[in-house]
Amino acid sequence: MFSYVTRRLLIMIPTVVGITFLVFMLIALSPGGIGASLRQAGGQMEASQRALQEAYLEDRYGLNDPPPVQFLRWAARISPIKFGDRDLRDDSGLLIRPPKDVKLPPLAGVWYADDVTREDDPPRLPPAELGGTQAEQRLAYRQRSQAYARARGQFVEARLALEEALVAFATTVGLDAAIDNNEKPVIKAFRRIAPGTPRFNELVAADERALAASEAVVDAGNAAMEARSRAVEAQRELRAAFDAQPYEQVGIPIVPGVHLSAPDLGESFSRRRPVSDLIGEALPVTLMLNLIAFPIIYIVAVPCGMLAAVRRGSWFDVLSGLLFIGLWSLPRVSAGILLLGYAASDDGLGWFPVKGLHAPDADTFTFLPHQVDGQWQRGYLLDTLWHAALPVLCLVYFGFAVLSKQTRAAMLENFTADYVRTAKAKGVAPNDVTTRHVFRNSLLPLITIFATIFPTMLSGSVVIERIFSVPGMGNLLIEAIALRDRELLLANVLMISIVNLLALLLADILYALADPRVSYE
Amino acid sequence: MPNPTDQSETTISGIHAMRGGALTAPKGFWAGAWSQVLKRPGAVAGLIWFGFIALLAVYAPLIANGHPLLMRELDANGDVVATSSPLLEFLAPSQWVLLVAMTLLIPLVLLPISGTSRGQRAGAVIGATVQAFTILLAVSAIRAWLGRWGASDAEREFLGSDSAPAIVAATGAFIVSALFAFIPTIVRLAPRLAVVGVSGVVAGVIVAGTWSQPPETFQYEERELAGEIETVYTLVPWSPAQRPTDRSAAVLEPGATSAQALMNNVTIALPRGVPIDDASLALAARDIERLPLEGDAGTTLAGAFARQFPPSSGPTIDTVESWLMGQLAPFGTPYALGTDGLGQDVLSQMIHACRLSISIGVVSTSIAVLIGVTIGALMGYFGGWVDMALYRVVEIFMSVPVLFLLIVAAGVLPRSTYVMMAIIGCFTWHGAARFTRAEFYKLRGQDFVQSARAVGLPLRSILFRHMLPNGVTPVLVDASFAIAAAILFEATLSFLGLGPPDQASWGKLLAGATSEVGDFVPWLAIYPSLAIFLTVLSLTLIGEALRDAIDPKLKKARV
Repeated sequence: MFSYVTRRLLIMIPTVVGITFLVFMLIALSPGGIGASLRQAGGQMEASQRALQEAYLEDRYGLNDPPPVQFLRWAARISPIKFGDRDLRDDSGLLIRPPKDVKLPPLAGVWYADDVTREDDPPRLPPAELGGTQAEQRLAYRQRSQAYARARGQFVEARLALEEALVAFATTVGLDAAIDNNEKPVIKAFRRIAPGTPRFNELVAADERALAASEAVVDAGNAAMEARSRAVEAQRELRAAFDAQPYEQVGIPIVPGVHLSAPDLGESFSRRRPVSDLIGEALPVTLMLNLIAFPIIYIVAVPCGMLAAVRRGSWFDVLSGLLFIGLWSLPRVSAGILLLGYAASDDGLGWFPVKGLHAPDADTFTFLPHQVDGQWQRGYLLDTLWHAALPVLCLVYFGFAVLSKQTRAAMLENFTADYVRTAKAKGVAPNDVTTRHVFRNSLLPLITIFATIFPTMLSGSVVIERIFSVPGMGNLLIEAIALRDRELLLANVLMISIVNLLALLLADILYALADPRVSYE
Repeated sequence: MPNPTDQSETTISGIHAMRGGALTAPKGFWAGAWSQVLKRPGAVAGLIWFGFIALLAVYAPLIANGHPLLMRELDANGDVVATSSPLLEFLAPSQWVLLVAMTLLIPLVLLPISGTSRGQRAGAVIGATVQAFTILLAVSAIRAWLGRWGASDAEREFLGSDSAPAIVAATGAFIVSALFAFIPTIVRLAPRLAVVGVSGVVAGVIVAGTWSQPPETFQYEERELAGEIETVYTLVPWSPAQRPTDRSAAVLEPGATSAQALMNNVTIALPRGVPIDDASLALAARDIERLPLEGDAGTTLAGAFARQFPPSSGPTIDTVESWLMGQLAPFGTPYALGTDGLGQDVLSQMIHACRLSISIGVVSTSIAVLIGVTIGALMGYFGGWVDMALYRVVEIFMSVPVLFLLIVAAGVLPRSTYVMMAIIGCFTWHGAARFTRAEFYKLRGQDFVQSARAVGLPLRSILFRHMLPNGVTPVLVDASFAIAAAILFEATLSFLGLGPPDQASWGKLLAGATSEVGDFVPWLAIYPSLAIFLTVLSLTLIGEALRDAIDPKLKKARV
């Protein structure tokens, strides 16, 4: 059993990687790409300021890298086994990563700063002697980190100026193909028309302004190189300070260069909060709805299925079959809207709350209902149940049909089994045959049906949460989609697929525990 | 539920057989299954409903349209000057293709044409329809490319010329038709070329004929009142996207008329419960003047209003409303099921939404079956590492609830009907793959497969000509449930605002039923819900009946 579970857990890893890769590529291939909303964030700013903000964000989140590289970076952070330097964690719990390398500005070595390569960068400094008390060390680290942020910002600005100069050059010589739809230069096209090439001479010879524009490009490039060397210097300083470990290191080292540490889900673009916090708030809500719903499904559907099997062909059998098929065909969207309209809204009965999972003042409630100043107060538990009643109702009715039909079919199959005939022949009371022989043996398939219902329940909770404004995973997903929030979206899909896979595994384990004939060895 | 007593078969003795008593022509496999399905009242009701919806889907533009079917223009003496059909003029090319194909389908299938079976004729029409739609897509792609940002002057000039429609349509039709001629849908070459050729010519003519359509305007009611035209409308005189021309589009109850919509435009700003003051009266008069009425009818009406309610008369809102209703009474086009928040007719949207539901259900299921059968066949036939590798892919799609993937894909990709068909198809194929894999796994050891291999048939032939017909049954039975699921997915995505923006949809209507402020519009909740419910229910009943007929042992598998 243990080896089976281990094997299943190991197989989960490629599955989860596959699913997140699929989602990641979908986002990357979509118009606007990753972080599309980020790029549109500064709606009211002036064009120049917005371009600058975009450039900062692209630099910070690495949005300009090819999507597979971005995915690998994401996967490396998610993986509990990490390679390379260990991160630090400050007192407020924020992770501090080693400073990123500063890339060369585009076209360096082609248009300007001839023969420059990354290898020319000065070597790393040894860990800095920050000295003094721990508080002083941390202050020194923070100062260097701010200096680096400033230098890097200046470099981003300089690079942006370079890009603008390139666009200006392309416009002057009328080279539309070198500008893409986002008014950014196409670097590949500029590589082909670098100064010194016949094509460049041709372009410049035609127009005097072109020569000036090309000189502006070279100037901007040199300025960018200067800004870069300052940024590289600041990065080296910061790196040295980082290596001095002013904060605690996270994770458990295994061998040099490899360590174990908790998966880091990153920070949400849109909410500016750690994704793990957001998931931590939403996942329990969704799970709670589903965990309330499951027992209800079993309590209603199993007896109905039993009774239908025992009285096969009776009006109860026919009616319950019809009713459940009807319920199964009723879309959740409709059920939610109709319940909201007729049972909750003021235009209808108004018996249930319209939105949310708690009353606004639920924090002040006691857990159990009691009297406050002679007034009845329903308490936190009842308040939650009252709010969850309609969402749960929408979740459960779907499963009735599947489960009761399965129960009925399993019972009917067992009724015709040899051991039942033997029991009857030996004179066992009919009720005992039904309950003690047939029902017990029919229970087994009901465990596996859990695996069928659970994914549809998770799907259903997206819609239900949306309709009843319940702050669960579904609502979070739709918000992440609307804002194109990469980190939140990926974490959401990741968590949902892990929960789903674990549920399927649980169903298999329960099946083996319940049925001694089943063994996974 | 087949009752054992129902299936009592008369015992056949040798004498019976000698007299030919038991000799009836054996039914084919599918024909036998079909006759079993037709014995179940639920399934028959389901078939009738689905057929009704399909009919509405095909003929939606001829049933619900804001353009008159016939329009006679009159001169000042009331004589007919010209007769036209704005409805046909405004039909989109895709609607033309669907109308032509489906109108041909039924007579072609029912009429006996020697030498071909019904299935072949139906297949030919469906193949021709797919080809025609591909031509439409190809031509619009060529058009988009010619009119792209950064196109050269020559290209732009060509696109604007008079001969462009004919040339582009002919090019697109020819390229696509040539490609389709190579697909061996019909084994013999001559009839295949004939079908492909006819389809290509028809699609080309349709595309060229509908090349440039003016933007839709609906100014018929006013012109008719002014005596300029006479009109004959179809059953529902509203288009799904037809919005009232006034500024405040209020949600109207079922049974309200366009007069109500016009009146709301005036009275929505008036104070309720108190006598109306002079300033409000003046504003109302101005609003009346601005009503979208033909000629100076608005000014005349405003004058009448000022005479009826002179300053400081202080009428109540009820008097004003009843007077206005009387004046606007000629505008009597009813909204049978009310309007939505944008002032669009609900009934018309309901009818046109059948189109989106059925087409997404059928097309996306076809895509899913195509992908699933191919991958499942490879897995089942080869087994081993092919099976293991591909099953990991299947597992990826099984590991996350499909709706989550669909929401992500529909959210980030462009919103269009075709994209939605593609994503639903591409994310739901794993069911078909698993069924096919299991069947092929059983089949691959059988003698006929072994002998097909022994004679050296190509893999394509073994898999799809010999094994597939023996192993496709579970997939086809499941297709009915898959269509229902796809329709539910479409409704859910449209409800969440991720559907195609320019299409009427049941899910989109549902989304208007509740609002952030807590209003509830019952007719936007009930009618679409009923439509989705009945469609899904009928598909479920058909699927159950089909499954019971084909494999009585499978009955317990799935609802």
